[in-house]
Amino acid sequence: MPQADPTSDLQRALAERIFVLDGAMGTTIRTYGLEEKDARGERFAKNEKDLLNNGDILSISRPDVIGDIHKRFYEAGSDICETNTFSATGIAQSEFFVEDPREHGGRKDPEFFQKILENSFLNDLAWEMNVKSSQLCRKWADDIGTDTGRRRYVAGAIGPLTVSLTNSPDANDSAFRVVTFDQVKEAYTRQVRGLIEGGCDILMVETIFDSLNAKAAVVAIQEVFESDGLKLPVIVSAAVGLGGETMISAQKVEALWNAFSHINPLAVGLNCSLGPDLMKPHLEELSACAATHVSCYPNAGLPNPLAPTGFDLEPQHMFEFLSDFAKAGLLNLAGGCCGNTPDHIAAIAKAVANHQPRQVPVVR
Amino acid sequence: MPTIPHALRLSGTEAYNHTAEKRFLMIGERTNVAGSPRFAKFVRAGDLEAAVEVARQQVENGANVIDICFDDGLIDGKEMMGRFLRLLQGEPDVARVPIMVDSSKWEILEEGLKYLQGKGIVNSISLKEGEEAFKSHARHIMRYGAAVVVMAFDENGQAATYEEKIRICERAYRILVDEVGFNPDDIIFDPNILTVATGIEEHNNYALDFINATRWIKQNLPGAKVSGGVSNISFSFRGNNVVREAMHSAFLYHAGLAGMDMGIVNAGMLEVYDEIPKDLLEHVEDVLLNRRPDATERLLDLAESFKGVGGKKIEEDLTWREEPVEKRLEHALLKGIDKYIDEDTEEARVKYERPLKVIEGPLMDGMGVVGDLFGAGKMFLPQVVKSARVMKKAVAWLTPFMEADKAANLAGDIAEIKAKQPELSDEEALKIAERGRSAGRFLIATVKGDVHDIGKNIVGVVLACNGFEVTDMGVMVACDKILAKAKEIGADVIGLSGLITPSLDEMVHVAKEMEREGFTVPLLVGGATTSAAHTAIKIAEHYSGPVVHVLDASRSVPVTTSLLSKDQKEGFAAENRAKQQKLRDNFHGGPKKETLSLAEARAAGPSYDWDSYAPPVPGFLGTEVIPDQSLAELAEYIDWTPFFHAWELRGVWDRQAKVLKTKNAEGAAEAAKLYQEAQEWIARIIAENRFKVSGIYGFFPANADGDDIIVWENEDRATERMRFHSLRQQVKKDSGKPNVALADWVAPGKKADYVGGFVVGIHGADEFAAELEKEHDPYGSIMVKAIADRFAEAFAELLHHRARVRWGYETEAELTHDQLIHENYRGIRPAPGYPAQPDHTEKPLLFDLLDASAATGVTLTESCAMHPGAAVCGLYFSHPECHYFAISELQQDQIEDYAQRKGFTLTEAEKWLGPWLGYSA
Repeated sequence: MPQADPTSDLQRALAERIFVLDGAMGTTIRTYGLEEKDARGERFAKNEKDLLNNGDILSISRPDVIGDIHKRFYEAGSDICETNTFSATGIAQSEFFVEDPREHGGRKDPEFFQKILENSFLNDLAWEMNVKSSQLCRKWADDIGTDTGRRRYVAGAIGPLTVSLTNSPDANDSAFRVVTFDQVKEAYTRQVRGLIEGGCDILMVETIFDSLNAKAAVVAIQEVFESDGLKLPVIVSAAVGLGGETMISAQKVEALWNAFSHINPLAVGLNCSLGPDLMKPHLEELSACAATHVSCYPNAGLPNPLAPTGFDLEPQHMFEFLSDFAKAGLLNLAGGCCGNTPDHIAAIAKAVANHQPRQVPVVR
Repeated sequence: MPTIPHALRLSGTEAYNHTAEKRFLMIGERTNVAGSPRFAKFVRAGDLEAAVEVARQQVENGANVIDICFDDGLIDGKEMMGRFLRLLQGEPDVARVPIMVDSSKWEILEEGLKYLQGKGIVNSISLKEGEEAFKSHARHIMRYGAAVVVMAFDENGQAATYEEKIRICERAYRILVDEVGFNPDDIIFDPNILTVATGIEEHNNYALDFINATRWIKQNLPGAKVSGGVSNISFSFRGNNVVREAMHSAFLYHAGLAGMDMGIVNAGMLEVYDEIPKDLLEHVEDVLLNRRPDATERLLDLAESFKGVGGKKIEEDLTWREEPVEKRLEHALLKGIDKYIDEDTEEARVKYERPLKVIEGPLMDGMGVVGDLFGAGKMFLPQVVKSARVMKKAVAWLTPFMEADKAANLAGDIAEIKAKQPELSDEEALKIAERGRSAGRFLIATVKGDVHDIGKNIVGVVLACNGFEVTDMGVMVACDKILAKAKEIGADVIGLSGLITPSLDEMVHVAKEMEREGFTVPLLVGGATTSAAHTAIKIAEHYSGPVVHVLDASRSVPVTTSLLSKDQKEGFAAENRAKQQKLRDNFHGGPKKETLSLAEARAAGPSYDWDSYAPPVPGFLGTEVIPDQSLAELAEYIDWTPFFHAWELRGVWDRQAKVLKTKNAEGAAEAAKLYQEAQEWIARIIAENRFKVSGIYGFFPANADGDDIIVWENEDRATERMRFHSLRQQVKKDSGKPNVALADWVAPGKKADYVGGFVVGIHGADEFAAELEKEHDPYGSIMVKAIADRFAEAFAELLHHRARVRWGYETEAELTHDQLIHENYRGIRPAPGYPAQPDHTEKPLLFDLLDASAATGVTLTESCAMHPGAAVCGLYFSHPECHYFAISELQQDQIEDYAQRKGFTLTEAEKWLGPWLGYSA
């Protein structure tokens, strides 16, 4: 069921303290040692492609695991958890259910994706993923919110897709795109409706590596608000490289803020791609220019396949870094991306608990 | 409260903020088919490369924003707007500036908005079609996040006079701000710059009307900006650039004083105001400011004298063209400039004699620089792709020369092949020869289970641009399909991509399968979670062909080129192998040390004169339980240094001063705080009786038997009660130090000697931590567990102290706390599972001997871990020479011997000692 707009409650709470986001869904799922059959369940037993790494499908086949992860993050101190819907669009799901035409010398192009958008199996599946995931997270938010007397929020996660609107995979035609803006917007429109139907409080366009993909999501969100007569807060969060640029479309953070400030987001932030140490200068830049709350949920360092968790940093390291960020007045919302477990989030919650939130600048 | 000033804030890939101190925003107008016949010609002819070049030049010339317009009867404006903006997305130098999408057709503006990742400007909307259309368009623009130019038009047409201009602008402003909710900072009015000096009297005040309207807007409509198409003003003087440039500059000067923020103006068609000849300036200003009725005639007369004079020319910065050819190629690659690439490549080809040498030489060096800059975060992916596209042009230039080379070489190759394999037909030999000479076929795929596509696509594009034949199999591709396709197309290189951790295992699988199926072609590995170390340690060992980790797309070219180059291949592969060996050695603990056989190691063991040595005799035999040790006493024995290490605070804790000795002052302050907090937690733990401490220790008659330690039933030393098993160092020592095993420090035979054992545990920490987590104090929970660990260690230390006293070789007050903590005493307490005896399965033996679980409640899990976690166990040794050591590497002969002694199979022993094996099991 769609939720009432929580913006004023959020604004009030954010003025008082730094909010805690959750940790990683994908890498935390991996700690449950699930197998292919867990992801498939009976329903997808006969699917041709492997589904184990289709994390979003676990909301359907193993809701117990996804629910447990939400529960653990909320218990570790998260104010906001993200739904398990990073790839819950027809476009992203098609990778797991439709044969890649390139295996037989074909190509992915707008014609291919038009068929994907008209594929009712994928549409229904994506809808179900969004509604169920949103409901699942809602349940734990409400349960733990009630138990602890502190309101918890559900952020509908809207991921970046596996296609790019600014990049051409054709060496001979740099104007070629595999997919069109309108197609991406349509896929996101359905996701947004599903997330809202499932009862999320916030829409979170995150891990933005291509700002044009994100723009399609943001336009979709506004169109849904307008036509469905409702409104929820929106957070946008980018994945930037070493130079502070969105990984694929190379947009710098201040440019990104300028491009998204018109929706007056609840927060703008950085996540994924870098560990906190490398993220800091870009967070400083964002904090200086953004006339809204700033969020930050870095990876637990860089990927290190030889480390036990797959990432370099342990809870106490995240504690150190995020204490430092909070002390520097850079944070309004903080959490962790890839490699951050509930223990990491507990350490982050502790790190930010005793620091004042960043003061949001006013435009004057 | 921090503030951010009001400004028109725009962006491409970089931000452009038009703040108050920035005087004039330059809009490049050469990419407007209406204003630039040259651009229109390129677009109509379909020469979009040249059209893109026009855009680049404008940015180079300092345009802050570029105006793009395809309103032309011969151009499909909507299609071209999309196509051109997509092309610009791939031009990093252009994409950095904000774009003004310019059209009189709404559908073209709507299309343009779909290709702006940044915040651009829509030019323009107006009240021409009424309020409803105006509002609907404004709302649409707002959803996409762009600023907007509003023309001073209404239902009745264009505003020409001052009064019309301000009336329409005010009306539009109120609708936008009050009804639509448009950000006033994002509203730009174009109050129509109309042509003066037309000879028609009512046009004479047009410039002044615009300037006055500008002043009014800036004073009365807060936030709003003013823009205009400047070249309109001088339309009467077409063909006379000197006059036009002077008019533009003078007009901008006066409109700027009135507050005009920006203008559509050819940056190359502007004279510097101060450099306009005095005479000309006066005539021009007479016209613009409508200062005298005959101003037009006077300027027309003066203009005659400037006719045909060229005016200013757009200039490019061409200083880089003076560099040597290698530097020029590097510059072109770095900047993505393809304009001179053919001539430079040709120059290099002549210089280097063979075309391939140009690719392997200066071009690869240039791409190497690109790779370095990208690796350092100083270049971004679109720039790398752009560089690759320039590279493509260079390669394309060289291709015909290489073909010719090839044809010449082919005949020689065929002869060579036929000499080796006379059974081949001419045709077969030709095929083989051709394969040998092709630039290379590259098969690329994202492995099974992984859907990540884009990074792999970029590698594909970059390689294709460098002349490789790329076959992209897409994502989620199963191993068998990859290998089948590789055989089908005769792939010269296979590239695997993956972004998520499970893909790493799949890559290992592919490597193994390649080995099994007899592949020899290089295997390239890339993607976010891959690393050089992982590739070396986990993948490379399974495949005998070259396995190379490729850090990013920019590196894929030099790597592939080297791997396929006749001259460089061997050297590159060897260097890669050596690097990987080094990574493996680092991972496995340094270069392989020389090792001894078990027999040699035993022979190199210490030899003590047991006859002249009288081992100390313990005060009791059997066990003694410590049912409830006081926590307050234990607190005194805590070694805090490891506690701080757990919180990443490096340094040594000074017990007396209670400070962490560290170079980092902040760290010391943090440590002091942490220590204080820990003290408070300890006080609470003691006050609330949270922890229960239990321990047991004991002494037993024992003797060494080879590397085993026999524990006797009693002092008769006739019946074996059980045996501990020790392991011996097998690394050859050059210092003459012995190769030790724990058994060395117990007397052999039946001489009266003893070993001890102990188990201590702290109960209650897990329960307290769980309780704190429930109360949403996860930090407290971590703290409690960390403190429990310290208590367990402290208890082990305290108990060891007691044990040594009871053993009779140390007196009660002989040592200070400090000395105890720094282990300045005789005797050791090594724990099974630690470096001196890494086999955890010795723990159950110790627990049985002490009957420790019954006495202390500390139990062992199936994998021999202790529960609760805050527990310590170990053996006691008393020999004066005994010390802690590490086993390092165990060889197969010792493992076989050890397995036999323990009654293990070889596999069991290898499983328990896996990380310590000096050979691969």
